[in-house]
Formats: sequence, C-alpha cells, structure tokens
Amino acid sequence: MATTSFTAPKLSSPTFQTLCRNFPLSLPIPKTLSSFSFHLSPFLSRFHLHHHHYHPPRFHPRRLFAVRAESENGAEPIRHYDFDLFTIGAGSGGVRASRFAANFGASVAVCELPFSTISSETTGGVGGTCVLRGCVPKKLMVYASKYSHEFDESNGFGWKYDTEPKHDWSTLMANKNAELQRLTGIYKNILNKAGVTLIEGRGKIVDPHTVDVDGKLYTASNILISVGGRPFIPDIPGREYAIDSDAALDLPSKPEKVAIVGGGYIALEFAGIFNGLTSEVHVFIRQKRVLRGFDEEIRDFVGEQMALRGIQFHTEESPQAIVKSADGSLSLKTNKGTIEGFSHIMFATGRRPNTKNLGLESVGVKINKNGAIEVDEYSRTTVPSIWAVGDVTDRINLTPVALMEGAALAKTLFQNEPTKPDYRAVPSAVFSQPPIGQVGLTEEQAIKEYGDIDVYTANFRPLKATLSGLPDRVFMKLIVCAKTNKVIGLHMCGEDSAEIAQGFAVAVKAGLTKADFDATVGIHPTSAEEFVTMRSPTRKIRQSSESQGNMGHEAKTAAGV
Amino acid sequence: MARKMLVDEEMNQTNQEEAHYDFDLFVIGAGSGGVRAARFSANYGAKVGICELPFHPISSEVIGGVGGTCVIRGCVPKKILVYGAAFGSELEDARNYGWELNEKLAFNWKKLLHKKTDEIIRLNGIYKRLLSNAGVKLFEGEGKIVGPNEVEVTQLDGTKLSYSAKHILIATGSRAHRPPIPGQELGITSDEALSLEDLPKHAVVLGGGYIAVEFASIWRGLGANVDLFFRKELPLRGFDDEMRAVVARNLERRGINLHPQTNLTELIKTDNGIKVTTDHGEELIADVVLFATGRLPNSKRLNLEAVGVELDNTGAVKVDEYSRTSIPSVWAVGDVTNRMNLTPVALMEGTCFAKTVFGKEPSKPDYSHVPCAVFSIPPLSVVGLSEEQAIEQANGDVLVFTSTFNPMKNTVSGRQEKTVMKLVVDAETDKVLGASMCGPDAPEIMQGIAVALKCGATKAQFDSTVGIHPSAAEEFVTMRSVSRRITCRGKPKTNL
Repeated sequence: MATTSFTAPKLSSPTFQTLCRNFPLSLPIPKTLSSFSFHLSPFLSRFHLHHHHYHPPRFHPRRLFAVRAESENGAEPIRHYDFDLFTIGAGSGGVRASRFAANFGASVAVCELPFSTISSETTGGVGGTCVLRGCVPKKLMVYASKYSHEFDESNGFGWKYDTEPKHDWSTLMANKNAELQRLTGIYKNILNKAGVTLIEGRGKIVDPHTVDVDGKLYTASNILISVGGRPFIPDIPGREYAIDSDAALDLPSKPEKVAIVGGGYIALEFAGIFNGLTSEVHVFIRQKRVLRGFDEEIRDFVGEQMALRGIQFHTEESPQAIVKSADGSLSLKTNKGTIEGFSHIMFATGRRPNTKNLGLESVGVKINKNGAIEVDEYSRTTVPSIWAVGDVTDRINLTPVALMEGAALAKTLFQNEPTKPDYRAVPSAVFSQPPIGQVGLTEEQAIKEYGDIDVYTANFRPLKATLSGLPDRVFMKLIVCAKTNKVIGLHMCGEDSAEIAQGFAVAVKAGLTKADFDATVGIHPTSAEEFVTMRSPTRKIRQSSESQGNMGHEAKTAAGV
Repeated sequence: MARKMLVDEEMNQTNQEEAHYDFDLFVIGAGSGGVRAARFSANYGAKVGICELPFHPISSEVIGGVGGTCVIRGCVPKKILVYGAAFGSELEDARNYGWELNEKLAFNWKKLLHKKTDEIIRLNGIYKRLLSNAGVKLFEGEGKIVGPNEVEVTQLDGTKLSYSAKHILIATGSRAHRPPIPGQELGITSDEALSLEDLPKHAVVLGGGYIAVEFASIWRGLGANVDLFFRKELPLRGFDDEMRAVVARNLERRGINLHPQTNLTELIKTDNGIKVTTDHGEELIADVVLFATGRLPNSKRLNLEAVGVELDNTGAVKVDEYSRTSIPSVWAVGDVTNRMNLTPVALMEGTCFAKTVFGKEPSKPDYSHVPCAVFSIPPLSVVGLSEEQAIEQANGDVLVFTSTFNPMKNTVSGRQEKTVMKLVVDAETDKVLGASMCGPDAPEIMQGIAVALKCGATKAQFDSTVGIHPSAAEEFVTMRSVSRRITCRGKPKTNL
C-alpha cells in the first residue's frame, strides 16, 4: 500500500483514505508488478508456460500467442479469446479475483447488474452484497442503533438529556445511501484503475469459454462465477407481505413493531438494529436457542443479553402464515398461535446461491442440492475453464473468505502458483448487540475432534457497566487441547468482541498454546486482557473415565454446563 | 502454624532462628504488585502479613489505601473519566446517524466524580476481601523496615507493631512529583486531578507523557479549554515517532492547544485564576494546572538505607532479575523498583516473586513484548518495538507496513479523524517486531496481537489469518504491501 504519510496528511484525499480502508490488499495505485513481488515472491514469469505437476490453467496472453484452450481431451482448435478471465459478478470475490488477475497481467472483464439497494434477477451493483446489502450498510445501521444504549450508558457517567433523543429515520437512510453510492463508485474506480473492463448487464454462460451479457457475446480463456447469494423466504401463505434483509436495510420509515423470523446471525443483527432504533422487536426461532452452530454457552449468553435490552424471543415457534389486516397491520400465525399488530415481518431464514438462469446446467457446471456450485479445492467447477468463488459456492459465506478465494484463484490462474484457500481458524463476528467474536472450534466441536479439552471461561461485568448501572456483561471462553496445550477455540460476547477477536485469531491460526497466552502481559484496564489472565480451567473434559474422576483441583465448576 | 513451620524448617535448614519468624512474608504496600505477591504466596502455603496506609483518593506519605495507585489513583478512575469524556464526541457523532439531540448537552461532573469514588471504594473493599480470603493478615498503618527480617507498622493511633518475617517485600509504588518552579504549590498532580471538585474551565497540563495526554483528553472531552505543554517536539517520548505525530494531530484536531518545546517557569495566584508563565514568555490564565512531569518511587520513609537496601539515583529500589534487593531477605516489586511501571507488569513481578520464594520455582519476569496503552481520545496501543527501536536493533533490513484509514463509523458521522496502524517487520526473519495502533478500540485490539508477537509470529502468519469484516482490527492482517524498507546503517547487506 502506498504510504500515507503522516507528516503531510492533507496530501491524502478522503477517497484515497477510504480506499486504504476498504481495499487493504494492495491498492491498484502502484500498478507495477514489483509492488507485489515482495509477498508473492518468488515472482514467476507471467509468461511461464511450463508444465507443472498440478495442471495449472495456463495463462496465455492473447496478444502474444495463439493458445490452446484448456481441455480434458487434449487437442482443440487454436482459439483467440477476448479476455483471459471473464468474471460474472462484481462483489467481494469477483472484484478481488479480477483486480488481482489484472495485476498479474491478465486481460479481465467483469459484468455486474445495475445498482440497486434491493437485489433481484435484474439488479445488483458493483460492490455486491457486502458493500450494498450486507456488511457495510448493516454495520452503519448497527452504529446508528447502538446510540440508544450509549445514551443510557452516558447517564451513568453524568450526561443528561433534557428531552429524550429522538431518531430521524430518513436522515439515517439518506446518509447511509450516500455512503453506499460513494462506495460503489470507489469499487468501479478500483476496477477501472486495475485495467479491468466493467460491463453492466446480466451475464450468462453460453459455452465453456463464452459469456452472453444481454445479447452480446464475450469469449474468455477462463470464466469465474461470483454471483453471490440472495435472501430466501420460505413459501408460506402471505409471504408477499414479508421483507428480507435487502429491504430491511432500506425501509422508507421506521418499523414500529417488527417480527423477525430466524435465529441466525442476520436475524440477531437486525433485532439489535431495530431495537436500538426504538422499534418493538419480536424474534421467532424454530429452536430453543439462537445461533445454531455457535458455541452453546455463547448462544445462551447472547440470547440473555439481548432479552435484557428489550428484545422478545419466541422460541420453538415456526411461522405458518402472514395475514394482512384491514388496517394494514400484519399478523404472524405460528405453530403456537397468532401475534398481531406488526408493521413489518422480516424473514432471515437463510440465503440461497444465485445460480438460476446462469446457463450452468447447459454447459455442465454441477450444482449441489442447495443450488451451490460444486468446486474443488482450487475453486474449479466441473467444467475445467469455469471457476467459482464466494457465496455462490456456499463454503464459508463471509466477505474475507471470498476475498481469500478470489486472491487464491488469481494466483492459481495467472501467477502459476496453484493456491488453495485455507479454511482453518477463520474468525468471524456477529454484530448483534452485544456483539460476538470467535475463532476456531466450539466446545462441542472440540470435544468431538480432540476428546480431552480444558475450558476456561470468564463472565464479568465490565468497568463501563459498573458505572452505567446497566446489566451488561461480558462472556469469554478459551478452549484448549489437553494433550498439546494448543488454544483451539476462542469465543467472546460483549462490547468490542469483533475487534478483540482479530488479534487472537492470528495467535490461534499460528497454533499458539495456552502457555503462550499466559506468558503475554495484559493491557490494563481492558476487557481483552481477560484472555491472557485465565488461570484456572472452569472444567476439564476427559473422554476416559479415569481422568474424568480426576478433575483438576482448580476447576471452579463441574463439567456438563 | 509455628510448630508446622518448625518442622518445615528443620527439614529444609537447620538454622533454628528461622522458626521464630512471625511471618514467612511481610509485604509493605497493598497495591497491584503487593496484593498479587501476598495472595499467591499465601496460596503456596506461606504465612503472610501486609500493611497499607489508610484509604484516601489522594495519596501522601501517610495516606494510601488497599488497591494502590491502579485502583484508587490510576488505571481505574482514569479509565472511568475517559469513558465519561469519550461520550462527548460520541454523542456529537450521533447526529449524522439520525439522532436529534439538544444543541448543548448537559454534563454533571459531580455525578461522575461521585460515581467514580463509589466504584473505587467498592474495589478497595474487594481487594481487602481478596486478601482475607487468601488468609493474608492486613494491617493498617505505615510500614518500615527495621532489620533484614523485621518490620514495624505504625498504626493510625500511633501505636507501633513489630513483626519478624523471613522475607520482606517492598511494594510501596510511586507518587506523582512536582517540578521545582515558583508557585508549584498552586498546581496539582494526577491524584488531585482525579478528584477535582469542579470541572476545570481552562486547564493547563505540563508534561508529554501518557498521564498528561490522558488528562488533556479527559478535560477536553468534557468541554474544557486545554493547553498542553511539553519539552519535546512531540508528546509521548519513547513511543514510535510516527504514532506520536498521530496522537499529537488527533489531540490538536479535538481542540487541545499543543505547546511543544515549552516549559512552565512560574505560577502566580491572581483574582482570575492561576497565571502561568512559559519559558517562551507567554502568559495564560488557568483555573487548574496539572503537573504530569513524572513519578518518583515511594522509598523515602522505609528506612531502607539503614538496613542496607540499595537505591538507584532516582530513588528506586535496586533489584536483581528475581526482584531481590541488595539484602537477601528483602525483595521489591512494582513501581518502587522503577522497571516498567505498569499494573500488569507489577502483577507479573508479584507472581514471579511468589513462585521463586514460595513455589520452589525460580521465575524471572519477562519484559519482552509487554503491550501497553495510552487512553487518550482516541487511544494509542503498542506492543514490541517502535520503528526507531527496530532500526536500531535489527541486523538486517526493517520493513514497515502502515495503514491510514477513515474508520467506517466516521463515513457517516463525518468526523475527520484517521485511524493509523503499523507493523514493523524484520525483513530477514519475517518476524513482526512491533505493532502500533492509534484509533478507537486500539487497546482492546492490541491484546491479541500481543500474544502473537510474544510468540514470534511472522508477517506471513498475520497474512494467513482471515480478517473479521467489517472491523478496524482486520487491517492488521491485510497489510500486503510494504510502505517502506529501511536499510540498516553500517551493516553489510551483501558479500560483494
């Protein structure tokens, strides 16, 4: 990244700063190859045509050579392609792969649907879900909604409000949308500066080397599918009255009383957002607890904390129908009864890959039963010249993972360096209120995988809460492999969890031990220091009955929470 | 207990005198280091006594309180005030997120102060309970060393208690000191600054260290006019120069008047307030003048010279790597030794002391990669080497990765303040030598990074870690392109 000099801050434009922020991986400004050579060394010749033991898709600069198409069957007629890479979908994964490929010397085009805050078969926008309908607008809404909690907190610190702060919905929407417009512009710029051709329209695969964009045909040596996913609403009567997360991020007015169906991270994030923006919020979950797949203790803890902030959870309650009343309000009928008077009913019941009408079946790209494109470890589909990254492959549906997949693909294709994305110890966050940060295994997974583990937990009232008088707490957990002493899981729910987890993710990914954590001096006073000051295991879990009977003296509680 | 000790001692040593000690350990000073050492020693089975001065938020020769500087006059009350002050700008930022607030927000300083005092009284009680639960006997009064194995505690009513102890631990900490300038009695130190009756309207802060910067941020955040005077060109000497410039710029942008390379020469009481004169001939009127010009070890009234415990020229107790003083039965931990004056370091020293002396496991505190934070607004946090230190110490080239960005929250709030992050890497080994950050949540973010650095993580390991999106912290694992490469002077790069 170009140095943003501190001694001359005025030289760096705001746009440039934001580029740094949002596109930390090698800005396209120093576009020379040498800017990459440090990390990707040894930098191989980009015209390297030798065979490799793994069959890397060969990169043949079309301007210099007439090339042979990659084929399982060997000889095919020599063809000229319009592009070395044609990417369908300019979201996180597609933009990353396209930019990096272009930086490695490939000629690249990417197509994307026209911009809209709501996605559909005909609308999308450069930037994709993350920038337009996911991470970014969601986080901006979280910032906005968190203030109501901060107003409460500030009371305990001596701040006073003569009139209760009111929220103006339209100001937030206008400022949020201005930011999204700015970001989509920046993304376009980035593609442009990297020398990637951007084509607006709907891409469809015609044959293994041809993409149709609204009637115009483009040929490419390789095609990348990175069309992402979209929210899915189950087929129940009245579903036309329901909204999904796309719509929920861009409502024209504040929902007075909202039902959120679903217990996943999207449901919880929106529950926090609407609750903070002073809507009445009801969450309907099929199971007993929220966030299936997360650590059990975290699931309990976050549910309790959210309930304390006023969110009403309806557990083991599945939606059956939505009815619109004469006054325009909505009723949700569930297996347990009917709740009336909702202004909005939001479904956060999962997302589906956008694999329809892409021409996949006709060229033989295999799709699994969830509609996700099947890929190998290098993100290659069943058609050798067609690749896929990001949510459309339904591996780990996170922006940074799509970035990793996109970067790995560009290396594989155009740097002669076959690279597999590494899915070990991928950290993630839920921007619920309070938020969750985690990396590695849950306690349940750890027991399954390692058998003998030590679990360290801390559940405390943070300094801020002792002054604010609010019932906020923090929960932290370390899971340690008993045999190797390695920290195999780290979980936290409480203020700043997402920020805190990142540094620890480096440590967990590097395979560090509990002793390494203990050897680190704390930063006082922080919440994070608790992770390096957990002296006694809360419980030791042993598979063999012998050691089960020989629990550590230090254990504060018995196993089996 | 006496009988049991006798047995133990007979098994270990034959010196009969040892049997007569009242305590295995007597600790003077119940702050972070002293309480930790006392508790852990007691947990190892030692009979432990500890003495501490009576509680008061403002310390003196005869006033202190269980919990020590950190709990009563340092980290905790400071952080509470920082929280309070940070709301000022937080709430301003709410407007562009659609919140309609009064033009001027009301703030009640007395309420915050009162709640802060309640909290430290609560913590003082918790610390006392921690000691009694561990079986440590607490004495209230001033401790003094009478002999290598003898302490004297002067109680509140003047009566003196005398105890013998096999080991004595000095953990009396340090106190803020005032510069010797005319009118210095008109100024205050951080002790008083944490307990001011009224919020200053115009505060003058002298000093460029973290305490100066933190109080400047607190008062400015609560609406006061603040002038910050310091000797160097930038505040926070010892930190990474680039980060010092970042902090200086942030302070200035938030409305603090910086006066680099300027000292105060005189304070005079006037009807309008304290008239402050600088060595540049400037004059200001302030209602509060804070001296944050350093702290001195509390070693004066302990009778150390008489028993032969050596002090260095700053008045700090000299110790070896195991925290042992020049008298084998006398030990010292924490700020009184002036090694690295941080609570978690005092805790580490206290823990190592207990392990060494009572845990049969000689342990040296490890001062490498100790992270720390400056709770300015926004805060700074660092671990490992600064760029300057890295260049000095490196054998080969040093790679510097920096990232300067507008935090996402500011994109809507409109706040003009960049977050800056930095990694300093050894080019040859790829080891990350240092990390720094100035921006919201920096201290929370840095803790995990510190674990990685402590264990010698490489830049490649940072790079292989997937980011948490959208966070500020993810920037630390996505710095792919080097900002600059520094070829270290005078060291051969090639064998030409």
